[in-house]
Amino acid sequence: MMGCYDFCGHYEWTFDWLEQAGGRELLKAYWEEAISRDSQRHARDLIGRKGFDGMTEYWGHTLLEESPDLGFTISRTPQAFRIDMHDCPSKGFLLRNKLEQYSDYCDHCIGWVGPMMRDAGFVIDHEHNHLGQCWWEMHPASEASAPPLAPGAVSGKKDVRLQPNWAPPNVVFDCYDKATSVDDKRRVKPAP
Amino acid sequence: MNPALPYQDTKPQGSADFYYGINATFRFLLTRLGHKGWQSYLKSLGRGYYEAVNARWRQGGLPEVAGYWRAFFAAEPGAEVEVREAGDRVEVKVRQCPAIKHLREGGREIVREYCQHCYFLGTARAEACGLTMRLQGGNGICRHTYALPSAALPPQDMTQIREAGV
Repeated sequence: MMGCYDFCGHYEWTFDWLEQAGGRELLKAYWEEAISRDSQRHARDLIGRKGFDGMTEYWGHTLLEESPDLGFTISRTPQAFRIDMHDCPSKGFLLRNKLEQYSDYCDHCIGWVGPMMRDAGFVIDHEHNHLGQCWWEMHPASEASAPPLAPGAVSGKKDVRLQPNWAPPNVVFDCYDKATSVDDKRRVKPAP
Repeated sequence: MNPALPYQDTKPQGSADFYYGINATFRFLLTRLGHKGWQSYLKSLGRGYYEAVNARWRQGGLPEVAGYWRAFFAAEPGAEVEVREAGDRVEVKVRQCPAIKHLREGGREIVREYCQHCYFLGTARAEACGLTMRLQGGNGICRHTYALPSAALPPQDMTQIREAGV
């Protein structure tokens, strides 16, 4: 039986199997069809109906269940819903157990969240460091041309970019600007 | 933390909503790749991802198999399972499958082949360790048997695996 205790392990393994079986397009279809539209249909329903309130309801429950030690912060302004992930429970599971079958596990988040936000009328600013830290800002699609908010503008001192473990030596960031697709990725290696 | 499991989390049990992901993954694979594609996935998963478990089973034999399933189901929320060692086999009697329970409670459409995954995956893992695996029942209540070749279990009768459903 496949269990939920090590779900992130076989989920991550599955990304590699799918890409080998049907290429990147099959994997992207998996994130959108299986995860975004099927598995997480309750998130789609909440966010589609309630917008920022639905995001608060969904991630408030899901992140608390997956990360009871509160390795995250949720913040809101009238224009943005923000998550600062200080200790990602799923990436943390993979790092602690040295599981890395697929080239970039973190792709899956925007792979399923992106299409959900697109369909609900939002765009995403997002960065992750591949080490279990990331941040997300959801904005109404009508603000897609707005400049990015400065670090600390929404979540203050809880902004993960202000934490000492955000940018260790040799870090590689994946960055998304007002995006809804994993294809919108911009990879950034800070100068040493 | 349970040393019988190859991968450790910081929580004693997993999040049951992940069963939604497993069910959705099966539906996607069955729709996109057909039953043979789904079987191929489970076989690869059993030999690949689960090799860390298989290696322990090869080394420790049936006591290791029994210990694994006890630890496995202790980490699955809602499971009611009895694991029994009996000479040439280990029997896992599932009185309440945690996945079927949660999928039902969540009102999810369960893929009808859901329970077959335990057979195809279990067989791939058993064969990697020189064991045989059989499954009887399904849709929430079932019995898994992992046995030595000397047990000479009859071939799997696929009609003995029930379809899953809400």
